[in-house]
Amino acid sequence: MIDLYLVRSALRDLTRTRNLIAAAVLVLAPGLLIWFLRLVALNRGGQFDYAAVYSLMSEKVVFGFVMVILSLVFCTSVVAQEVENKTIVYLLTRPIPRYRIITVKFVPALLVTLVTVWTALIIAAFSAYGLSHIGSSPLKHDLLLAPIGVLAYGTVFLLLTTLLHRPLIYGLLYAFGWETWVPNMPGSFQRLSLMAYLRVLAPHSTPEAAEADITSVLTPQTQDVISSHIAWVVMITTIVVAFALALYTFSVREYVPRDAE
Amino acid sequence: MIELVNTSRWYGQVIGINDVTCHVGPGITALLGPNGAGKSTMMKLITGQLRPTTGKVTVLGEKPFANPNVFRKLGYCPESESSYDTMTGREMVTMLAWMAGLTSSEIPARVSDTIEHVGMTYAADRKIGGYSKGMRQRIKIAQGIIHDPDVLLLDEPLNGLDPVARREVTGVLHGLADRGKCVVVSSHILYEVEQMTQDILLMHRGRLMAQGDIYQIRSLIDAHPHRIAITSDYSRKLASMLLESPDVLSARIDAEDATRLEIETRNPEKFYALFPELVLRNGLTIRRFYSPDNNLESVFKYLVNE
Repeated sequence: MIDLYLVRSALRDLTRTRNLIAAAVLVLAPGLLIWFLRLVALNRGGQFDYAAVYSLMSEKVVFGFVMVILSLVFCTSVVAQEVENKTIVYLLTRPIPRYRIITVKFVPALLVTLVTVWTALIIAAFSAYGLSHIGSSPLKHDLLLAPIGVLAYGTVFLLLTTLLHRPLIYGLLYAFGWETWVPNMPGSFQRLSLMAYLRVLAPHSTPEAAEADITSVLTPQTQDVISSHIAWVVMITTIVVAFALALYTFSVREYVPRDAE
Repeated sequence: MIELVNTSRWYGQVIGINDVTCHVGPGITALLGPNGAGKSTMMKLITGQLRPTTGKVTVLGEKPFANPNVFRKLGYCPESESSYDTMTGREMVTMLAWMAGLTSSEIPARVSDTIEHVGMTYAADRKIGGYSKGMRQRIKIAQGIIHDPDVLLLDEPLNGLDPVARREVTGVLHGLADRGKCVVVSSHILYEVEQMTQDILLMHRGRLMAQGDIYQIRSLIDAHPHRIAITSDYSRKLASMLLESPDVLSARIDAEDATRLEIETRNPEKFYALFPELVLRNGLTIRRFYSPDNNLESVFKYLVNE
C-alpha cells in the first residue's frame, strides 16, 4: 500500500505540465520529421521510401535519442532531484529500507519513459507506413524491444544518480559522447556501447547513404559483428548488475546536501 | 535514549564533531552552539543520515544509519527550508505518514489532528511553494511528529516563527516531553531555548563543552564569578556591608545609575542565603534583584571564553 502511494506520488511528479510538454515534443518529433520528408519527396516528384525512413527515425531518433534522453532525465531524477531539493532527508529518515525507496521511485520513471518511447514509435510508424501498410512495419518488434533498451539505459542512469553528485552532466556526456561515438569505432570498441547491442536486437535496414558518415567510411571492413545471443546476454547482465549496484550504493551511501556539511 | 561514545565525524580535512560523548534521555534537551559548532552534524549522526568516522552512536539501543527500526520511533525536523513545493502541506504530511508506517485507516484523522496541532489547518490544502518560512516550519514539524515518535530531533525549529507560533510550537514540544518522549532541539539563539528547557548540550568548534542543567553548569564555572545586580536607594551602604563578606569578591556602583549595584561572588548559594538576612537586619529597601549570569547567553560566553 505504501509502495502504491509512493508510485502514484512519483508518477504525478513525473507527469507535471513541464515534463509533459517536453515529452510531447520528443514524442511528436519523429512523426513530424517523417511528414516533412514525405512532403519533400512528393514535391520533388520522387518516391517516398517509407520503410527506410521509418527505420532511420526509429533507430536514430527514437532509440538513439528519445529513449536515451528520457531515460537520462527521468531516471537520474529519482535521487538527484531529491538531493538537489534537499528533500531526500525526509525519505531517508523513514522506516522503509533504502532499496525499497529507490525501487519504488524507479518504477514510475521507467513507466513514463517507456510509454513515451512507445508513443513516439507508434506515431513514427503510422506517419511513415500509414494505416494501409502498418501491418508490414517492424513496429511490433520495436515495441517489444523498447522495454529492454529503456531498462538498460534506465538502470545505468539510476546507478549514475546514486554514485555522482551531478549525474545529469555525466549522463549527457555518456549518452551523447560515448554512446554516439563508440558504436562507430573500429574493431571491437562497439562492444563497449549499449547502443551497439540494442541495434543488434532491434535491427533496422538503414539506407547506404544514411550510413556513410565519416567513421563508417574509415572503418567499414574492420567492424566487429555482434550476435543477437551475445546482445541479449550483455543487455540483461547490464540491467541486473547496474540495478543491483544502484540498490547497494543507495543503501550504504550518505546523501547529505552539500551546503549543510 | 540517545548515546554518543567518543564520536567524531570528519568531512575530509574539516571537522564536524570531535570526540563527543553524551547521553540524552527523556524530556527536552537543547543542543546549543554558534553556527559551525557541529550541531547539525550531530543531528545527522543521530538521525542516521551520516555515519561516525570514529566512535559509536546509538538511538534506542541501535545504530541509526539506514536503520528502519530506529526510524520507526524517530522523528526529524530538518533545518533546511526545502519541502515538496508542488505538494500541499496535507499531501506532504500524508505521504510521510504513509512512509512512517501508519495505516490507511488512521492516516486521514492523524494528519488532520497533527496539522491542527501545529496551527496549519487554514493553509493545509495550499501548495507548499506558496508558504511563508513560518508555515513551512510548522509543516516540517507536523511531518516530524505525525507518527508520535519516542525520539524527536528538531534542527532550529523556531526559525522564522512569530512569537505566537513559537509559543504554540514550544507547547507542542512540552506536551511530547511530558509524555516521556526525548526531544532534542538545536539552536544558536540562546534565548529561544531558554524558555523551553534547562537541559543543554553546549557545542563549540565540534566539541561538546558542557552538558546538563544550565544553572548547575553555571555554578561549576569557577573561573568566572557569578554576578548579581541589585537596585536600591542604599546601594553604597549595601556595597560596603556586602564587601565585608568573604564570599563577595567585588562591588561596583553603576556610573550612570547610582542606585544600581553589581557584585561578584564565587559562592552564589551562600550569598543568596546571606542577603535577605542582611537586608532585613539593616532595614534596607531593595527595588530590583537579579542575576545577569543566570541565562544561557552568559553561560555560553563564559564557556567559549568570549
